[in-house]
Amino acid sequence: MAIVLEPRDERTQPARIIAGYPQTPLRNPAQPLIRRAPTLSELTGPAEFGGRIGLLGGDLAGQGARQAIGQLIQLKVRVLDEDGAPVAGAMVELWQANGAGRYAHPNDDDHAPLDPNFDGAARVLTDAAGLVELRTVKPGAYPVPTKDGWWRPPHIHFSVFGRVWLSRLVTQMYFPGEPLNAFDRILNAVPDAGARERLVARLTGPTPDPYNALVYEHEIVLRGRNATPVQP
Amino acid sequence: MSLVPTGEATLGPFFPPRYVDAGANDLTTLAGRAAKGEAIEISGRVVQEDGAPLDNLVIEIWQADARGLYRHPADPRHAEADPNFLGWGRAATDKDGRYRFRTIRPGAREGRAPHINVMVMYSGLMRILKTTLFFAVSPDPVLSLVGKERGNLLIAKGKNPYEFNIRLRGENETPFFDD
Repeated sequence: MAIVLEPRDERTQPARIIAGYPQTPLRNPAQPLIRRAPTLSELTGPAEFGGRIGLLGGDLAGQGARQAIGQLIQLKVRVLDEDGAPVAGAMVELWQANGAGRYAHPNDDDHAPLDPNFDGAARVLTDAAGLVELRTVKPGAYPVPTKDGWWRPPHIHFSVFGRVWLSRLVTQMYFPGEPLNAFDRILNAVPDAGARERLVARLTGPTPDPYNALVYEHEIVLRGRNATPVQP
Repeated sequence: MSLVPTGEATLGPFFPPRYVDAGANDLTTLAGRAAKGEAIEISGRVVQEDGAPLDNLVIEIWQADARGLYRHPADPRHAEADPNFLGWGRAATDKDGRYRFRTIRPGAREGRAPHINVMVMYSGLMRILKTTLFFAVSPDPVLSLVGKERGNLLIAKGKNPYEFNIRLRGENETPFFDD
């Protein structure tokens, strides 16, 4: 089962230095990334995890004694490879702020309240159709501590393991119709409009009772011409 | 409420505390059974251009087992791979930017010198940054592609424990690959 992958298409990727994002000029390499011919080492990767990291389940809204505070949503996320084929058994990790825009993380000292019933982390495997279904609350927007009033729009971070080491992707998912999307420095670091659109989920309707959650569908394409852009 | 200065603690990363499981940086055993080969320790610091250490940075490794075999169906010899070696691990840096792995010295295979694939994740990184750790200057297509001068930055220092420092940008910047 030899795997062949095309080089990444730069048009699918964000700028590396972003005006108004003061960390980017300190951390992104100044030297060009070196293109190499992949060998077996890069064309393999963790296909199983042997309990080294454990599944956390996909119900973020129901982790605590009570339902998390916020707008209940159901996410249907499909993981696709460079040919658009579903990736079965892919490890998908996500993390997000709570409904008020606060991360359950010691480094987040924003003044928005924590929700004792929400820690915002999930880790699940895709099914045979490349799909994961998650239940969570819509994350709140939050201010970035820069001097000029940048607010992150609601977003969810994703880390995905594809078939091989070269398929590893870290990205973010945004919500449709959010006014802050137009001003976000990370989303808009992707110059290509089509590639930016691939970062935004689709609202497809409500679930039936008893969940009464709004359903968002999203696709994460790990590589190829239609790759989902990297988002830190 | 006090304003947060623009600096290290801003804009994440907010990897959940549960993201880096305890023991995920130890590849020497799997389900309590020891992998074959020489156990080694690798640690290092990750810094940005101004030399500031990066706290709570996530670093992952992927490598062959002691005989150079990969636990993945794309390896035609994967059925022979060490059943007690997963080949993958994850660590987080501490406030000094230091990470630590325990693993098995990988074997050479099909023209590749012994090496470990390394990936870093952090806020502000607009690419998936991947590099490769080598244990010695040796014939290897990836190492030779990097060239002699910068290639030295890919050689781990010492002899078990090894030190492999990563500088994301600036003088002696670690070479990263367009993967």
